[in-house]
Amino acid sequence: MGVRFLSILFNVKFVKFKDMSNHLTEEQYQSGVKAVWRATAILSVVTVVEVAVALILGPHFPKIVMNTFYVLASLAKAFFIVGEFMHLKYEKRAFMLSLGVPLVFLVWAIIAFATEGHYWNVLNYPK
Amino acid sequence: MAEILEINEEHHTDVLTRPDNGEGGEKTVMNISYGKTMMWYFLLSDAFTFSAFLIAYASIRLSQPWWPDPNLVFKSFPGMAHANAPLAFVSVMTFILILSSVAVVRAVQEGHRMNQKGVMLWMIGGIVGGAMFLGCQAWEWNNLITEGLRPYYNPFGPDANGITHLVHEKLSVSPGPIAFGALFFGITGFHGFHVFTGVCINIWAFIATANGTFQRRGHYEMIEKVGLYWHFVDLVWVFVFLAFYLM
Repeated sequence: MGVRFLSILFNVKFVKFKDMSNHLTEEQYQSGVKAVWRATAILSVVTVVEVAVALILGPHFPKIVMNTFYVLASLAKAFFIVGEFMHLKYEKRAFMLSLGVPLVFLVWAIIAFATEGHYWNVLNYPK
Repeated sequence: MAEILEINEEHHTDVLTRPDNGEGGEKTVMNISYGKTMMWYFLLSDAFTFSAFLIAYASIRLSQPWWPDPNLVFKSFPGMAHANAPLAFVSVMTFILILSSVAVVRAVQEGHRMNQKGVMLWMIGGIVGGAMFLGCQAWEWNNLITEGLRPYYNPFGPDANGITHLVHEKLSVSPGPIAFGALFFGITGFHGFHVFTGVCINIWAFIATANGTFQRRGHYEMIEKVGLYWHFVDLVWVFVFLAFYLM
């Protein structure tokens, strides 16, 4: 009843789900495989670069510079895993937003808790 | 008006009489099946759990005047006694997990082609990768426990500049920040538990594939859902790696 009411109200068409991916052409399949191996290569290279930078450049640069680099590299890896491996890149934008927008709360949480932790440090162990 | 209602009625029945595939319906929200949608939202909630742990780690670490240097704590490598190889072993673990994730992506792609043998082959790759990762983690834990690290005791202190000194074991005061062990075992343990359940689920998916369950069902969507969970485990490791080993 509710579904019918909504469909009249908003003129929504209920379309049956049909997974088109079951009817992949050979080219689509091949390009998919290629995209995955490309993502693998990028993930491996980023990891190797991260470790190499940590070992070679780590002792010579301020901690804040190194940590910024690590965070950015990790975020890049996360985007490749979520986008390519978990296929989110190919989903609807609305679905991507429904997952991405709640994560904005983490920005607040990280800033708030890092500030609080640092404040605790300053209070207890004055330089 | 009656006509419109009738048309809608037809639509409605069409939706309700969809073939039941045992996975909770095929009607879609945002062109993605309910099964996959709900797996995604479960993973979102799981992401918040892991974020809470990692943010707690950051907060406690920042509240301490001194923190063990990961290059001095995580420096051993299997087969090389007292090796000084910082980050080497954990890089190998990262690589194993990435490759295992790739194997499962390949299984999903073979599933789209209804290639049962291909799915089975690549799922084995995913399972073996996961099991190898768990083995590596067990070795790492064993090594750190041998060096004296406990959830309530941290031998890596500033006095010894990261060098273990078991002399302090009997003392009630921990040489290093006491939370280090609890955070390390807690967070890597929670991640390891995810890897363990992921391996179990992958084994189940492999058996179901071998039995032809998905072949008879007409699609391999279950492999996609299992795969989502498995990639999430890989995703979390990226941030555990960042927090414990790089920073």
